[in-house]
Amino acid sequence: MPTVIARNHRKLWPVLGLYGLVALVALWLIGPFLWLFISSISEQRDLLARPMPLFPPNPSFSNYAKIFGLVEFHAQHQSAQILPSLGNSVVVTLIVTALNIVLGSGAGYAYARFQHPVMKITLYAILFTRMLPVVVLMPALFLIMRQLGLQNTLSGLVLAYCSFTFPFTIWILKSYFETIPRELEESALVDGCSRLQAFVKVILPISGPGLVAAGAFTFVLCWNEFLVAQVLNSKQGTTTLPPTVAGMLGQANIDYSVIAASGFLSAIPAVILALVFQRYMVQGLTAGSVKG
Amino acid sequence: MTALDPGRPGLVLQPQASAAGPARRRWFARKQRVAVQSEGRFAAALVSPALLVILLIVFLPLVYSVWLSFAEVDLLRPGGTAITIFGVRLPLYRFNGLANYSKVMSDPLYWQALLRTVYFVALFVIEAVVIGLAMALVLNARFAGRGLMRAMLLVPWSMSRIAVGILWLGMLDADFGAINGILYRLGLIDRYLSFFSDGFTALNVLIVVYVWNQAPFATILFLAGLQSIPQDLYHAASVDGAGFWRKLWHITLPSLRPMMFLVLALATVNGFLMLDLIYVMTSGGPGNDTTTVTWLGYRTAFSFFKFGPGTAILFTLTLICVALTVIYHRLVLSKFQSE
Repeated sequence: MPTVIARNHRKLWPVLGLYGLVALVALWLIGPFLWLFISSISEQRDLLARPMPLFPPNPSFSNYAKIFGLVEFHAQHQSAQILPSLGNSVVVTLIVTALNIVLGSGAGYAYARFQHPVMKITLYAILFTRMLPVVVLMPALFLIMRQLGLQNTLSGLVLAYCSFTFPFTIWILKSYFETIPRELEESALVDGCSRLQAFVKVILPISGPGLVAAGAFTFVLCWNEFLVAQVLNSKQGTTTLPPTVAGMLGQANIDYSVIAASGFLSAIPAVILALVFQRYMVQGLTAGSVKG
Repeated sequence: MTALDPGRPGLVLQPQASAAGPARRRWFARKQRVAVQSEGRFAAALVSPALLVILLIVFLPLVYSVWLSFAEVDLLRPGGTAITIFGVRLPLYRFNGLANYSKVMSDPLYWQALLRTVYFVALFVIEAVVIGLAMALVLNARFAGRGLMRAMLLVPWSMSRIAVGILWLGMLDADFGAINGILYRLGLIDRYLSFFSDGFTALNVLIVVYVWNQAPFATILFLAGLQSIPQDLYHAASVDGAGFWRKLWHITLPSLRPMMFLVLALATVNGFLMLDLIYVMTSGGPGNDTTTVTWLGYRTAFSFFKFGPGTAILFTLTLICVALTVIYHRLVLSKFQSE
């Protein structure tokens, strides 16, 4: 069957070409990320070796032990802020995500179900805030937080993050609730449920995907946020991981491998979360990006 | 006669059947009013916490920062007149009209930064669209492991930009960077290159790194768009003998137009606002060679604590961003209404 072989042969090159392109895209997407990890388990002198080894000859987690304060090293008090900042990041991110799911879902539901001029105006106002660059608000927010006594506090950061993430959550969940037929609540109301009960007991239990999308999106945004934390919580011990890790760069006596470990540590929770909730993240991204 | 439909406040106010007597109609009207009121209260209770926070943390700062941009702000002396809004006492400092704006506009540094920002945004948008689209076309093909590859798209995007900056500082380092290491191993260079000592190179490096971080987002949007193109179009084009480029130009790109506008709008605004990468990678240097308008505004406000000129700079930027968003929005709307 020479013709079949010839045809297969003709098709081989496009397929090989395709896989070549796929490999190129994969290298571009995660090669650098893997390199950060490789740097973080290397020793600084192996990084400096020429020619550069593609895999560290002495891989170890000693850089992580250093930033966690498990072993003593010459720059240990520059990296001593990592653990408290990690704690602050976890607390702030989890509280903001929880508040987004509770308060954001309520507001998203109200916007999905109630038509009233006031609702329309406030929804436009919320959408308008998404066009505003956060950075332009920072000087005024700095002064307001100072007057409120919320500067350098986690509550202040929670408050600020909520206001920047609510618009996304409300928008994502409003679109989600609009896909749920009204008849579901209507029959619950006929059965004697109150409005709130119908929402909590009937609508929320079937809104898992929307809630996960909004929650995962909020988590990633807050976990990675740098500017607000840098400006509002500049005092040591009150800030989150990104400003702390960024601050290590300015220090001359910290090895890059230690900074790489801090950077990898600060990146990994959001990356894992995004990969686990991949499908929901993509939904959230596409819904969250479509401006009013 | 079950006009009292609690799920649809819009329907509750429908006029009743004329057969009903006036007493009955009044009864309905009262019942409806109560229902509408409690519905309204329920909706208000649901939205007010979020609205209150947004009012306090977005709208109050917005109004206050408009004021600050017209004021001579002395952070050490918050005395003088102040107003109290929502229990927050806000010092008003001294009104000095357009002085901040005229000071900013007469500073050559501002215009250089603006020109640099325009270059940055233009190149960033082009690269993000081209690379984003190219990746989308590859990932839209059929191959083993496509799901895994699409998951990988989220890696550069979901890293914090601080980590992205640290990562690329390491990749591009003049002493141990992987890029130098690979080029050296391949024999393409005989000594390690420095990517951050020349200002223009540093600016272009920043663009590439930001594209690495942001292009996957464009890819996700393009992939969503590609999936809605009917396959018949491609089959018909193949029958007519069209090749890859013809199909791309005549089928794929026209069908992706809504997504293209969205990607362009988001990339433009994100490009104007990029700040954290500059913070970690170059701090605006060498000299002022990577100082964009955002960085200039941030540094004026928070390194030199000149809040008046700082907010003025940031407001010029905000106006550009809002104007661009509106223009893009108009373009999209008019495009799709005419079709």
